[in-house]
Amino acid sequence: PPGEAAVRPGERKNLKPRRLIDAGGKVKKGKPHCSQTPVLVRGMGRYSRSAMYSRKALYKRKYSAAKSKVEKKKKVKVLTTVTKPVGGDKNGSTWVVNLHKMPRYYPTEDVPRNKQARKLRASITRGNILLILTGRHRGKRVIFLKQLSSGLLLVTGPLSLNRAPLRRTHQKSVIAASTKIDISGVRIPEHLTDAYFKKKKLRKPRHQEGEIFDTEREKYKITEQRKVDQKAVDSQILRRIKCSKLLTKNLIK
Amino acid sequence: MSERLWSKATFAGYRWGLWNQREHTALLKVEGIYAQDETEFYLGKRCTYVYKAKNNTVTTDGKPNKTRVIWGKITGVHGNSGMVHAKFQSNLLAKAIGHRIRVMLYLSRI
Repeated sequence: PPGEAAVRPGERKNLKPRRLIDAGGKVKKGKPHCSQTPVLVRGMGRYSRSAMYSRKALYKRKYSAAKSKVEKKKKVKVLTTVTKPVGGDKNGSTWVVNLHKMPRYYPTEDVPRNKQARKLRASITRGNILLILTGRHRGKRVIFLKQLSSGLLLVTGPLSLNRAPLRRTHQKSVIAASTKIDISGVRIPEHLTDAYFKKKKLRKPRHQEGEIFDTEREKYKITEQRKVDQKAVDSQILRRIKCSKLLTKNLIK
Repeated sequence: MSERLWSKATFAGYRWGLWNQREHTALLKVEGIYAQDETEFYLGKRCTYVYKAKNNTVTTDGKPNKTRVIWGKITGVHGNSGMVHAKFQSNLLAKAIGHRIRVMLYLSRI
């Protein structure tokens, strides 16, 4: 079709557009959109950002963002005061009442505070690529999913790319890359908590002389639950990674 | 992965005053850092002295082998030229002077 950039061997033919608004005002849903440059070397694309701009004909494709979300956000406004009418001649006609009133009672002892919110480095955001520094998976680049309540980070390889499973890591043993993947639509199963990942200790047999050295669960076995969860998360994430060759190569071991 | 996940450093010697040396602190010269402002990245990083001995010892994640490690931490800056001092869990062996110390990239702050 006229107007589209010439397609070279190795390049993707269909370049899917971003979220755009139809003439009728409806919002079209496009597929997740990533860097479409062909990979030259690991970490480098063939074309620069400005070259890609002209190749993708972005000068022609300038879409406005969907307005619905922005409008919704603006409408919500919390009322702090209410004006009420007052009777009597000299009282003025109205008075202003605080909706959020000062507490009548203050406890003499300090109420124990809630646990402080877990800190997370500003460089680590959802969908960020992290480089793991220690442990079995050192040197691997994985994707950060979320921070668990204990402060540990939940990451995944994904498994099919670099054999790194859904796992917890510590902030301090990880370097955050500047590369990010948009995982805004990814739904991480709710049952993936610290308790799920906690190591199971060997059961010590009590009062069983014959079986003192017979320990259960010597070797870690991958449970079916883990496999199911891994697949559930990875399938969503792989969809977003696969559109960019550069990104996939970055993650592959 | 064939990448090296640690920086190269040399154990330059122990901390010492004019007449005495203090073996509890080691001075390290990290390769590539030759000014004080460049050392900021390495502060707090863990470092290791890796050496071999005759008998096999247990290792995490592997079979027993002859490699042994002394773990330490970079505690501060030494001087203007990028030297750094480190404290190890047990004092470093004097025969390690001039030899390789690995400075790991964790505890990471980036």
